[in-house]
Amino acid sequence: MNDLTKKLSEIAFEERGADLLLLMVERHGNVGPVLISKAEDPGNARTDVPYQLVTILTNILPFMGKAKVALVCRRCDEKALAELAKRGIVDDASIVKIGLACTKEQVQECRCSDCVPSKVDIGEPSEPCPEDSLATELAAMSTEDRAAFWKRQFQKCNKCFGCTVNCPVCFCDDCVLEERTYTPEEGIPPGQAFHLIRSFHLADKCVECGECERSCPADIPLLTLRKMVNRDMKDLFNYTSGDRERKSPLLTTLDDQPLEDDVHAC
Amino acid sequence: MRVEHVLTTCPYCGTGCRFYLQVVDNKLIGVVPCKTDEISQGRLCIKGYNAHAFVQHPDRLTHPMVRDGGHLRKATWDEALDKVVSEVKRISAEHGPDSVIVLASAKCTNEENYLFQKIARAAIGTNNVDHCARLCHASTVAGLLMSFGSGAMTNTIPEFENADCVLVTGSNTLEAHPLIGARILRAHDKGAKIVVVDPRDTPLSRLAHSSIHQQPGTDIAWINGMIKIIIDEGLHDEAFIRDRTSGFDELRKIVEPYTPEKVEEITQIPKQELIDAARTYANAEKAMIAYAMGVTQHSNGTNIVRALANLAMVTGNVGRESTGVNPLRGQCNVQGACDAGGLPDLFPGYQRVEDAEARKRFETAWGRTLPPTKGTTLTCAMKDALIGKVKAMIIFGENPMLSDPDIAHVEEAMKELEFLAVAEIFPTDTTKLADVVLPGACYAEKDGTFTSTDRAIRPLHKAVDPPGEAKPDWMIACELGKRLGAQGFDFSSPAEVLDEMARLAPIYGGISYERADAQVLRWPCPSKDHMGTPVLHIGGFKIGKGVLVPVDHAPPAEETSDEYPFILTTGRNLFHFHTGTMTRRSPKLEREAPEPYVEVNTSDAKRLGISNSDRVRVSSRRGEIALKARVTDWIMPGVIFIPFHYAEAAANRLTNPALDPVAKIPEFKVCAAQLKKA
Repeated sequence: MNDLTKKLSEIAFEERGADLLLLMVERHGNVGPVLISKAEDPGNARTDVPYQLVTILTNILPFMGKAKVALVCRRCDEKALAELAKRGIVDDASIVKIGLACTKEQVQECRCSDCVPSKVDIGEPSEPCPEDSLATELAAMSTEDRAAFWKRQFQKCNKCFGCTVNCPVCFCDDCVLEERTYTPEEGIPPGQAFHLIRSFHLADKCVECGECERSCPADIPLLTLRKMVNRDMKDLFNYTSGDRERKSPLLTTLDDQPLEDDVHAC
Repeated sequence: MRVEHVLTTCPYCGTGCRFYLQVVDNKLIGVVPCKTDEISQGRLCIKGYNAHAFVQHPDRLTHPMVRDGGHLRKATWDEALDKVVSEVKRISAEHGPDSVIVLASAKCTNEENYLFQKIARAAIGTNNVDHCARLCHASTVAGLLMSFGSGAMTNTIPEFENADCVLVTGSNTLEAHPLIGARILRAHDKGAKIVVVDPRDTPLSRLAHSSIHQQPGTDIAWINGMIKIIIDEGLHDEAFIRDRTSGFDELRKIVEPYTPEKVEEITQIPKQELIDAARTYANAEKAMIAYAMGVTQHSNGTNIVRALANLAMVTGNVGRESTGVNPLRGQCNVQGACDAGGLPDLFPGYQRVEDAEARKRFETAWGRTLPPTKGTTLTCAMKDALIGKVKAMIIFGENPMLSDPDIAHVEEAMKELEFLAVAEIFPTDTTKLADVVLPGACYAEKDGTFTSTDRAIRPLHKAVDPPGEAKPDWMIACELGKRLGAQGFDFSSPAEVLDEMARLAPIYGGISYERADAQVLRWPCPSKDHMGTPVLHIGGFKIGKGVLVPVDHAPPAEETSDEYPFILTTGRNLFHFHTGTMTRRSPKLEREAPEPYVEVNTSDAKRLGISNSDRVRVSSRRGEIALKARVTDWIMPGVIFIPFHYAEAAANRLTNPALDPVAKIPEFKVCAAQLKKA
C-alpha cells in the first residue's frame, strides 16, 4: 500500500464515512479498477491512468444496495455525477467524491477548459487549456469541407460501441443505436445516422471527459466533435452540461416552458 | 456482496486484447478494457465488449453425459471418464494406438493443449494429435518454418503503426482482427501506404491507398509478378539477398515468365496496379506484410506463404522493426496450441517427433518410449475414419461438424467412429454425435495462458465458477491421463503445467505464469532473465540463411464449370466468431448479424434476377444451402462470399476438402458453386 492508497482510504472511510472505495491500483503488471471496503489493502493506488470510474460505478450500482461509495473524481466525473443525479440515476447521498486535480499533461490531452474539481483532495490544480485547436480549425472550414472531414473520420468506425459503452452519461436501457431503423444490421461502417444520433443524444449531458475518444480504436477525434456540439449548446441555450441545478433546455413544453415533473427521460 | 474486476484475455481472435471482467457475486456483468495493456491500449472491438455475454448462458453444459440406448443421458464424472478410458483402451488394444486421435483446441489454454498432446503421446502412445490450426494456418507453420526457420509472426502488433507500407492480403483485418486493423489505420493516418490485395472489398481496403482485386486462387501469380517487377527495376535489396538468403538465382528464374501482362491474364489485376503496388512495397523503408486465411486456405497454401516470404526477403524486409511476414492467427490461442505441440509432427516448441534427440528429451521427461513417426492430421483423420483406420476420437472444444469442409462427409466419418468423446461448453452439432460429453469451463472460469498471434504470453485469471459440475479442461485432461494409467498428470495448477512445458520447450524456457503476469513476454524467451523477443530474425535466421523457395502458380483444385459458374469463398464477419457457439448466444452480437447471407456482385445479381434480401440457393458438387442474398459492389463479379458462422446454412456443406499436399489444409477459399433464386 503506497501513501496514495493510505490517503484515499483515510479520506473515504475515516473522514467521509464511505462503506466502499472505488479507485485504480497496480495489479498483474497493469493498472485497473478495484472496489474495496475499509479493511482491505488493494496495493498501490494510481491516478495517472484515466479509467472512467463513473461508468464503472454505474455498471455495478444496481447491485450495491444502500452502501455509500467513495470514488476518485475528476472535475468531469463530478459533472457526470451531477447529470446522473439530476435524472435520478444516482443518489447524491450515496456517493462520496474525492476530488482529483488533473495534471497539466492530462489537461492538454483532453484540451480541457474546466479541469479543477470543486474540492481538490489529490493533486495540484493546473491551468485550463484555452481551446481545442482542431475544433477551431474545423469551425473555420466551409460546411462542405467540415462534412467531408467527419465523413472521412466516420468511415473508420468499426462499430465497437466503445464510445457508448464507456460513456458516463450514456445510460438508456435500450440504446437507440441498436435500433434497426437507424442502424440496420449491415456491417461496418455504420451509416451517418449512427454518429448524428449519438451526437444529438448527448448534446445536453456530455461533460467532455474524453472517454469516447480514448476508447476509439479508429482514433476518431470524438472529443472534438463533442466540444463543437457543446459550444453550440452554449451559444444557442447558454447551457453547459454538468450543472446539478439546471434542467436541460431541450426538455421543454411546446411553449418553451421547462418540464415541471421529475425528468427521468434520456 | 462481492465486486471484483478480474483481468483476463479475450477469448475471440488471436490479437490477445486484455480486459477486466466485472463480477458481482459470481455473476458477470460487464467488460472494462485494460488501459495499460500494450496490445489493446484500453480499446476493444464489439466482440470483446460482449465477451461476458455467453459465459453464464442457460444453454451451458453443466453435467457429463453418456450415450445410452441411442440417447445422451446425465452421468457422473466417474462414469463418463471411465467410459472414455475403457473405450480408448479397448480400441487401442484391438487396433493399435494410431486408431485413436486427440483433437486439441485453439480455444483452450497453453497448459491444456500441452496436456492434450501429452495424453495422445504419453498416455495413449500415438502422435495423432491435431487441432483446428490445420484449418487456418497449417500452411503458415509449414511454409515459414521452411523459409525462415520459425513458423510464427515475425514482428509484433504495435509495430504496424510505425510501418511505411503495409501490404495486406487475404485478411479482412478490420473485421477479423479489429484491433490489428486499428493499428494499420493508425499507420495510414500517419502517412503509411496501405495496399490491400483481396477478391472482396473490405472495410480496410475501402480506406487503403490501393485496393487490388485478384481472382481467388491466383496469389502466387501476383506475388511472383511483384517480385519480377522489383528485380527488373532494381528495387531489390542486394546486400540482404547476398548475406542473408540462399536460392536467389532459382527464384529469379522462376519469376521470369510472370510479366505484368501474364499476371493480368491469370489474376485479372490490371498491370499498372501491380506495378504501382510492387514499387510502393519495395520503396518503403519499413514494409510489413499481413495475411490470413485468404492466403493459407488453398490447396497450394504452403507455397503462397513461401512466395510472400520471398517477397519480404528480396526487399530486405525481415529482421527489423515494422517489417516482416505477419500471419494473423484467428483464435485466442491457436498460436499457443501450436506452440504447445498440438500437432501430429511436432512436440511442444516445434521440435520434430522424427528427431531422435528431441524424442529422447521427451521420453526421459515422460518416462516412456514415444512413437517415432508423425501422426495423422485432423483433415486426414476424417478420411481415415471413413475407411475404418481411425476408430476413436477425443475432441476438446472443437466443432468439426460446422468448421470442417464438406460437412456431409465429416458427418459420415464421425458416425463411422466406434467412439467419440467431446469436451465442450455448449451443445453443438458435434456433441450431438458424441458417445460421451464432458462439460468444460470457458476462459472466464479458469487460470492459464493464451499466446497471442504476435507470440505474447497472455494470462487468464479465473473470474467466476464454472456452471454446475463443469470443470476446466486441464483438470479433465489430468483425470483422463491418470485413469489411462500414465505417469505425470498430477498437476495442481496450470502454472505447474506451464513450468513443465517451459522445461521441455526451449522457446518457452524463461516463461512462467508469474513472469507472464507481470510483463509482456514474447517467445523465444529461453531463460528466466530473458526479456522475450519482439522481432524475430534480427541479424540472422535460426537456420542460417533464409531460404528463397521458388514456387509456381497452379490453378485451384476445383475450377468453375457451366453448371457451377461461381467461385465461392468463405470467411468471417465482424460480429460472429467461427461456428457461432459463443457469439450467437451474445444478444448484442446476434442482433448485428442474425442470419446467414451470401454476398453477390450487383451485375451477377441483376443477370440472375436477384434483388437484395431475396432467398437464394447456393450449391456445389457437395451440397446445397438456402439463405439470403446481400447484393453488393464489394465483391468481384463471378465470386460469391458466405460467412461460415451459421449452422442453419452452413457454408462448409459446400466447401471443397481438397488438401494442400504439405500442410493438409483444405481449400476453403475456392470452390465452384451455383447460385439460383429460391
